[in-house]
Amino acid sequence: MKGLLSRTLLYYLVLSSAILTLSGPGFYLLMEKLYLDDIDEAILLRRDEFLKNKQPLLKTTDISTWNRFNRDTRILANNSSKTRDKIIQEIFYDEMVPEWEPYRVLYKGIQIQKQPYVLMIRLNLVESQDLIITLTWLYVGGLMILLLVIFFITKIISNRLWQPFYETLKKIEKFNIEQKNAPILSTSNIAEFNKLNAALNKLIGDNMKAYQIQREFTENASHELQTPLAIFQSKLDMLLQQPSLTVEQGEIIQSLYEASGRLSRVNKNLLLLAKIENNQFPEIETIDIVEIMNDVLPYFEEQCLSNNLQIKLNVKAKQLVVQANRGLCEIMINNLILNAVSHNLPNGIIIISLGANKFSVSNPGIKSLDPETIFKRFSKVSPNAHRTGLGLAIVDQICLVHNWRIAYSFEKKIHTFSVTF
Amino acid sequence: MKVLIIEDEKELATSISDYLKTENYLCEFAETFSSAMEKIQSYEYDCILLDLMLPGGDGLKILEKLTRQNKQDGVIIISAKDSVDDKIRGLQLGADDYLPKPFHLSELSARIYSVVRRKQFGNSNTISFNELQVDFLGKEVKVDGKSVPLTKKEFELLQFLIGNKSRVISKIALAEHLSGDMADVLDNSYFVYAHIKNLKKKLAEAGCRDNIKTIYGVGYKFQP
Repeated sequence: MKGLLSRTLLYYLVLSSAILTLSGPGFYLLMEKLYLDDIDEAILLRRDEFLKNKQPLLKTTDISTWNRFNRDTRILANNSSKTRDKIIQEIFYDEMVPEWEPYRVLYKGIQIQKQPYVLMIRLNLVESQDLIITLTWLYVGGLMILLLVIFFITKIISNRLWQPFYETLKKIEKFNIEQKNAPILSTSNIAEFNKLNAALNKLIGDNMKAYQIQREFTENASHELQTPLAIFQSKLDMLLQQPSLTVEQGEIIQSLYEASGRLSRVNKNLLLLAKIENNQFPEIETIDIVEIMNDVLPYFEEQCLSNNLQIKLNVKAKQLVVQANRGLCEIMINNLILNAVSHNLPNGIIIISLGANKFSVSNPGIKSLDPETIFKRFSKVSPNAHRTGLGLAIVDQICLVHNWRIAYSFEKKIHTFSVTF
Repeated sequence: MKVLIIEDEKELATSISDYLKTENYLCEFAETFSSAMEKIQSYEYDCILLDLMLPGGDGLKILEKLTRQNKQDGVIIISAKDSVDDKIRGLQLGADDYLPKPFHLSELSARIYSVVRRKQFGNSNTISFNELQVDFLGKEVKVDGKSVPLTKKEFELLQFLIGNKSRVISKIALAEHLSGDMADVLDNSYFVYAHIKNLKKKLAEAGCRDNIKTIYGVGYKFQP
C-alpha cells in the first residue's frame, strides 16, 4: 500500500519519463525535417541560380574545368540512372576526411550547347547532424531539469496541501467509539477538507448517539427486569412452601427455578457489561494476580473434584503486580477458569500458567473455536444451560478497559486463553 | 418480631411477608418515602427491609434519619441497583446488609435471621434445638454438649437452614448462597447434595436426630 503522496509522485515520474522518452526522438525528427527542408531549399536555389546565370554561358569544353573547381555542383554525362528532378539522400565517399558521408542530392537533366547533360547539386549533411544531436540533447536536458524542479515543487506543495487531511486521519484513527469524547477536527482553509471534517463530525456524532442509546437500552432493560425477576423468584419460593406439593409439581418448580436462575444470570452479566463499558469501576489499585488466583483456586478445586477434573498450576513468577480494578480482575480470572471447567473433556485437565506478564488458562478440547466470534456476546458453543454466553465477552471488555491483550489459540487439541498485561 | 418492608412493589412485599409469617414475624408495609418516614418515626422494628428507589424520595435518606435518631433497628437494603457505590454508602450509613434483587426469599430470611440475632443476642448468640446447639458467634456446633467439627461450608449451610426453619429452601438458593458470586458454574445440584450429605452424616454420627429433610428433589427443609 502506497501513501497518497508517493502515489502522486509515482504517477508523475512515470508520465514525465514517458514524455521524455517520446519527446526526445520526436524533437530530433522534427529538427531533422526542418533542417532537410532548409538544405533542400538551398539546393533548389543553387539550381535556379545555375540555370539562370551559369548554364547559358557554359560550353561543353568548359565542363571538365567546371567540375574540377566545383565539388558540389557538377555536370555529369547523361548516362546516370539516378532519379531526376527530385532531391534524394545519398552517401558519397569523401576523400578529404576520408569516409562515407550523407548528402542531399538533386539530379537534373540540362542542355549545354544543345548536348544533354545531368546537373548534380549536393550538400553535405554531417555538420548539420551534429547540430541536431546537440540541440536535441539540450532540449532533453532542459526538459529533465524542468521536470525535476516540478517534481520537488509538487512534493512540497502536496505535503502542505494535504496536511489537514493527515491530521484528520490521525485523529480518526485514534478514535474509539467507547470513548466519551469525539475527536476535535481542526478547520483548514481548504473547502473540501472542511466539508470532509464536517461530514466526519456528523457521522461520529450520530454513531456515538446511536451507541449511547444502545448502551442505555441494555442497561435500562436489565434494570427494569430485576424487579419482575425478583417477584417471579419470590413467588416460586412461596409455591415451594405449599404442603400439598406433588413430585411432578416439584419437578416443574425445579425447572422454573433453573430458567429464572439463568435469566437473572444473563441479566446480571448484561448489567455488568454495561457497567464496565460505562467505566463504573474507576478504582484502580495495585494488585497481585498471583494472590487473586490463590484466593479463587480453592473454590475451583472443589468444583473440579466433583467433575473429575484436575488443575495443574504452572506458576513461574512469585508475583504479578498490575494496576487494575480488583473486582474486575477477580471476575476475569473467575470467568477464564470457569470457562475451562465448563468446556472441558471428561477427566480432563486445566492448566493455569502465570508468567512475568502473562496469565493463561488451557484445557483440552476437540476442535478449534472461531477466534473471530469467541469474544462476542452470546456466541455459545455448548448447550450448557448454566452458561450465559457472556463470560468471555466480559473478559474481553475487562481487558479492553485495562489495555490488556487477550488472545485465543488452539494447538495440539488444547484451547488456550491468555491475557498479556 | 416486627419487620418493616419498605418496598413499592406490592407483589414482592406480600411474598416476603408471607414467607416470613411462618416463623412468627409480623410484617408491616410502607410503599412510599413519606409513609416509611412516618413509620420509622413512630415505631420500633427488629428489622427494616429498605428498597432504595422509592416513589417520593431516596431510600438512603431514611437510613440517614434512622442513624441520626440512634435507632437500633436492623436494616437490610434490598435494591434493584446492584451498585458498589450504593452498597458502600448504605453500609457506611449504618445498614447491616445489602441484598441485590433478584434474591431468593430463603436468602433474605437467612440474612434477616442473622441480623436480628446479632442485634438481640450480641454476646451469646447461641440457639438450641433439642440436642443440637449452634453458637453463631463462635461458629461452633454441639450435639449433647459434644462439639461436632464442621467445615466452613457445612456451618454456613446449617446456619442458612436454621435461618429458614420450617420452610423449604430450593437447591438453587442453597447453591447460590454457598458459591456466592460464582453461582454461574456448571451443575450445582451435586455440589449442594455433597455438602448436605456430609453435614447430615456428621450430625447423625454425633447422635443428632435427622432434622434436615429432602423435599421432592427440589430442595431441603430444616424441621427440628
